[in-house]
Amino acid sequence: MYSDLLNALPEVLGLSNFLAVIIGVIAGIVVGAMPGLSATMAISVLVPFTFGLEPLVALGLMAGIYNGAMYGGAIPAVLLRIPGTPAAVATTFDGYPMAQKGEGGYALQVAVVSSAVGGIASAFALMLLAPPLSKVTLLFGPSEVFWVAVFGLASIIFLLGGNPIKGLISACFGVFVSVIGSDPIFGTDRYTSGQLELLDGISIVILLVGLYALPPVIDLLETPLKTDGVNSSKLGTEPIWKTLPRMGRFWKTWLRSSFIGIWIGILPGAGGSMAAFMSYNEARRASRTPETWGEGEPEGVAASETANNADTASALIPALTLGIPGTAVAAVAAVMLGGLLVHGLQPGPMLFRENPDVVFGFMWQFLFGAILLILLGGSLATNSFARLLNLPRPLLGSVIIVLMLIGVYSIHGRMFDVYLMLGFGAIGWVMDKLKFPLPPVVLGLILGGFAEENLRLALRIGRGDWTVLFANTTSLVLVALTVAVVVGPMVKRRLAKRDLRTKET
Amino acid sequence: MSDHRPSRLVRPETLTALGIIFLALAFLVPTTGLRPISALLPAAMLAGLILLSAILLIRDQRRASAGSKTAPLTQAPRRVIGAFALIAGYAVATDLAGFYPATAIAIPLVAWLFGYRSPAGLALATTIVVGSAWAIFDLGMSQDFPAGRLWQ
Repeated sequence: MYSDLLNALPEVLGLSNFLAVIIGVIAGIVVGAMPGLSATMAISVLVPFTFGLEPLVALGLMAGIYNGAMYGGAIPAVLLRIPGTPAAVATTFDGYPMAQKGEGGYALQVAVVSSAVGGIASAFALMLLAPPLSKVTLLFGPSEVFWVAVFGLASIIFLLGGNPIKGLISACFGVFVSVIGSDPIFGTDRYTSGQLELLDGISIVILLVGLYALPPVIDLLETPLKTDGVNSSKLGTEPIWKTLPRMGRFWKTWLRSSFIGIWIGILPGAGGSMAAFMSYNEARRASRTPETWGEGEPEGVAASETANNADTASALIPALTLGIPGTAVAAVAAVMLGGLLVHGLQPGPMLFRENPDVVFGFMWQFLFGAILLILLGGSLATNSFARLLNLPRPLLGSVIIVLMLIGVYSIHGRMFDVYLMLGFGAIGWVMDKLKFPLPPVVLGLILGGFAEENLRLALRIGRGDWTVLFANTTSLVLVALTVAVVVGPMVKRRLAKRDLRTKET
Repeated sequence: MSDHRPSRLVRPETLTALGIIFLALAFLVPTTGLRPISALLPAAMLAGLILLSAILLIRDQRRASAGSKTAPLTQAPRRVIGAFALIAGYAVATDLAGFYPATAIAIPLVAWLFGYRSPAGLALATTIVVGSAWAIFDLGMSQDFPAGRLWQ
């Protein structure tokens, strides 16, 4: 089962693949360091540019960006109390007070080492857990695959929190977009309005760039953030090798936070920020000096950063094996599924059988990305990356707009796609402002076609008899899980309300 | 004294729900011409969108009648409309005048209008981006960018 994992290693160590991870990590740190930009946006903008690349090079870039951005978010969190990514909120609690005391450099070093520890643990979890799970999912037939898709959508909608009606609307929109184009069996046009450009359906890249890259650009231009500037000479940075021994005392926190991060990452609908908060609270509870937390306790930074990096690779366990992203709040996993599709890799049970070299290579890239974090983000770059915060944001916004246009135009060499992307961008901006979740749209587009194909296949096998969808135990288990995912949060909310009423009376 | 309370119908969520219902109904028309099996999933999704948007609409109107105020979509509508207009304008200009002229104008224009006013920085950034796009995509990857319909 794990021999494929070892077989994939030599190719990952090839120059181009390894270089891709290095570039990805640096780009990820840069993106994560800039408030308003995120790994999701960076990967969305990157995906169209990877068309011409080998799948492993493209995936290496994505793995690097994902790892790098999770640490990069700590830089403004520590220096300015502005989390670069939502997952870095808990890092501000102790990171910023440390910077105020002139220990900003040490806080960033604790953040980078802890991020690497969390990332490495997460990559090992992916390597150990995904292969056996994929063996099980390989036994799935069309009706089970259909139910897996339904379960995936349901879990994203109902476990995300927030308004389930809005989640459902997002998912319906995503699935509807997935049916635009030629019917997969009869070849008849569906909702193309005679546009030849729509016959092949809507490329996931256009949707990703529109939904995830345009709204942050509008935000960058809407509220230009003025920073006071960061003077790197005030960071108090020592070489990282000198500070490493001082971090030895965090080993228990690293272990606990890695476990929390991995677990949260696997759960559909949970996310990096939840992992970081939970981990911070648990570490504080376990601390002998909880009164120092919030006033510049390095262990707080370690707890938060370990957990928010430990959910990166583990979020891909359900994503790669079932096609369901784990950490949906960060949405990166959903976007990465789109990145896989662009290279003809359908996430789900068959991925491990048909493309073992790519999927296992991707896992190694996550591991190397996490290790490279220390080298790239730690020793040399801490001071340099801090200066990124002084970049003028209107200029940054205008450059991203150009990159978006180049990326989307390059897919098929037509302006139609650019206009379509702008349309999705406007929709994405409204959805974002009205708090409609975006991951169900992406997942709807990914799983919609997949679900329809398997539903129709199952019905053909069953000669049109709908009971074929409930004919075996696995399907029934998946139906039960779907019902649990839908009903569970409702019951929980009801019980919480009843408790509240009881307390009030 | 006049009452400046905005109409309940222009609440963002209400407008969005109405928009979704209208569009979903419009898409249902061509759905009727499809084979039943081809129409199954899209019809289900459109019906779902209509039903869910109706629920959203009713809930929002209930909140409105209970006196709940709604936050505006943006605190700076002129900046947002300006940003969208400039991005759309850039796409149209690329289509009509070509990628390089449009980009050479769009980068400094957007950055200048939104607050970055350093001529040297603008010139440098424009040169780097346009030059890199030409070197990487045009020269290195033989990627053709729109030459502009006006010149064809």
